[in-house]
Amino acid sequence: MPVPINFVEKKPLPSGATMLCGFPDVGLVGVLASSYVISELALDELAYVDSDLLPPVVVLHKGLPHSPMRVFGNSGLLVTIAETAIPARGIQRLMRSFMGWVKSKNTKMIVPIGGIPTQNRQDIEKPEVFGAASSVDMISLLEQHKLDVLREGYMVGPQALIMRYCAENNLPAVALLAQSFSNYPDPEAAAAALRQFSTITGVKIDVAKLVEKGEEIRLRARDMMKRTQQELTKMNKGQESDLPLYI
Amino acid sequence: MASGKRIRSIFDLISNYVEEMESLADDLLPVERPSWDVKASTILPLCNVSVAPDEVVVTADLPFSDPDSIRIGPSDERTLEISAKIRRRVCCEDLGIIYQRGEFSTFYCQTRIPVAVDMKRRTKRFKNGILEIKLPRKKGHQIKVGSIRKDYGELRLDNGKF
Repeated sequence: MPVPINFVEKKPLPSGATMLCGFPDVGLVGVLASSYVISELALDELAYVDSDLLPPVVVLHKGLPHSPMRVFGNSGLLVTIAETAIPARGIQRLMRSFMGWVKSKNTKMIVPIGGIPTQNRQDIEKPEVFGAASSVDMISLLEQHKLDVLREGYMVGPQALIMRYCAENNLPAVALLAQSFSNYPDPEAAAAALRQFSTITGVKIDVAKLVEKGEEIRLRARDMMKRTQQELTKMNKGQESDLPLYI
Repeated sequence: MASGKRIRSIFDLISNYVEEMESLADDLLPVERPSWDVKASTILPLCNVSVAPDEVVVTADLPFSDPDSIRIGPSDERTLEISAKIRRRVCCEDLGIIYQRGEFSTFYCQTRIPVAVDMKRRTKRFKNGILEIKLPRKKGHQIKVGSIRKDYGELRLDNGKF
């Protein structure tokens, strides 16, 4: 029996908005970025995902239970966040269905944010951000903003699936991937990715507090990082470091 | 199959079995302990071990820790014990734990090293809240491989014995 995936809309979603996606991945870069934007711009919860493909988890906020995967937003910006690691077993079905729903909302552009595990991250003061694009037009957009484009290689995980389904459905998407720790929460990488997000989309986000609160975030995000790491291993996340074969 | 899913080929069948086995394996995993211990006032830091040809690199994420208080010691030949004092007061509420009272003063973890290392020659550095420990690997006994006789494809060690 196919597992049902429902997108429950609590409030009307704006048409033509830009969507930032933050799913648990290396360094929790996407989740930290999404979480910060939701809090900083005081975005409302607009929709949530209800599916048995998500783990049997509710997230308690202000004493009330919530789905671990939700969409927040205002008139021009949508932010998707998953507050628990998405099980590797169901991630393809979940993401395919999610992107189908996103397409029905006439989203202007989708921007998944994530990290690129970097061996000498400890010695990098300012993490660099790289881009991946869903189409030739989107590559041009990245180049206009002087972002290095990942031209060959592999992407693995939620961001990879978003990019694949966006390319299949002609949805404009750019993935912003910051140099990050692989196994440790990386708020500075999230801040670097958000700076680029602001530049590309024009959405103003002051990331000063994200950097200031870095140590506190690292302390609190340990458990989520550990669970994410377990799921990423099941997804063969290590393949991102494989050398691309292109003859 | 009870799932009612239409089986198209032998690969579907195998795929279904693999899914069932993974699900069983997940169910059999032992219940994990929390990453904090109120009685001992300790927090378990995130830790990583990577093995290179010449050394083993252990890192630990120690936010808010006091660099002067970091203690690293082998508890046996293959286990490294790391502790560090937290330089500010962290209570349960700070970590979102409201059903328990208590404070945490120390990061503490024990890490198993997967290969033989020389614990005495370890080096450490602490930068941006990340502790990095390098442990040189112990070299095992080397056996020199001698000539290979082409006619029989026979392998002989340098002393002529097999």
